[in-house]
Amino acid sequence: MKKIKENGLSLTFLVLFLLALGGQALAGLALFNDQQLVDGGEPVSFVKYVASSDFAVDVAENWQSEYLQFFLYIMLTVWLVQKGSPESKKVDEAGPGSDEKQLVGRYARSDSPAWAKAGGIRRSLYSNSLGLVMGTVFVLSWLAQSVAGVASYNSQRLLDLRDPVSWGTYATSPDFWNRTLQNWQSELLAVLSMVALSIYLRQRGSPESKPVGAPHTLTGVEN
Amino acid sequence: MRMLLVVLSVTLVAGCAVDTTLPARTAERFHADLAAHQEDAACALLAKRTAEKLLDPGQTCAEALRDLKLGTAGPVTAVRVWGDDAQVQLSGDTLFLHRYSGGWRVTAASCRPHGDRPYDCEVEN
Repeated sequence: MKKIKENGLSLTFLVLFLLALGGQALAGLALFNDQQLVDGGEPVSFVKYVASSDFAVDVAENWQSEYLQFFLYIMLTVWLVQKGSPESKKVDEAGPGSDEKQLVGRYARSDSPAWAKAGGIRRSLYSNSLGLVMGTVFVLSWLAQSVAGVASYNSQRLLDLRDPVSWGTYATSPDFWNRTLQNWQSELLAVLSMVALSIYLRQRGSPESKPVGAPHTLTGVEN
Repeated sequence: MRMLLVVLSVTLVAGCAVDTTLPARTAERFHADLAAHQEDAACALLAKRTAEKLLDPGQTCAEALRDLKLGTAGPVTAVRVWGDDAQVQLSGDTLFLHRYSGGWRVTAASCRPHGDRPYDCEVEN
């Protein structure tokens, strides 16, 4: 029980993620089979649908934009600040920070991660591990979107009695960029909203917010 | 991360591991049946909706195919399969096929390219 309480945030998001993914699969299957009727095809099973390029491209296009959002947020907030936002560091603290503040090398504590105490490539890698993983997952998701996308797109083109296209042609096509940019714009708007609104608005008890009574000009202070 | 790799693998498998033999064979059989004046057999290889679209009132599918005089097509030169759909190019024709639970069926035949617009087909659904 204690374990569940200590990991409540991760567990809750994991359950919500699985429910939403399952819901997307069911709704997507119903939509796909409805379109099959229009196209003169046959309804497909749940298993066949979740293994299809249609489902994969719909999943991947959202994943890549989410990981891009967090990658950009993690990396840009190293150097860029927003006065008054709890999402930002203090205005004069832009940059990667000193070893002393980052608790690395000889400033590491006894309970610091091993690679924070180490030097060289291991410390450099660990110092950027969050951004590296988020960036890598973004690139892989985007690649998955393009691969699944060209399969789904070409299947529809054949259905429409048109020639299929190559991966390169698809990667520069309106379909690929429409799917990509419609996700990017919404993620960027959400981050902008969070950075800007958190200057003036509060959510009592949330670490994403400043304390309710904190002045609007206070930067980098969270609950 | 593992989930992503699964999605990527499924995607690559779905996109790459395709069997081009069966749609090619179906397209060849369709034209072989027509060349042998076995229009009933050719009709059995048409998708249901495509066969229905062929018919004028009071006409059978075989009669409709015979009237179209689709001509000979020659050997397969290219096959492209994406999901449940395929395009088979023969030296003298281009056909489109769809995979149903009963196998591959011809959805369009005697097709001529039309730039990036849909092919012009004598037989289509």
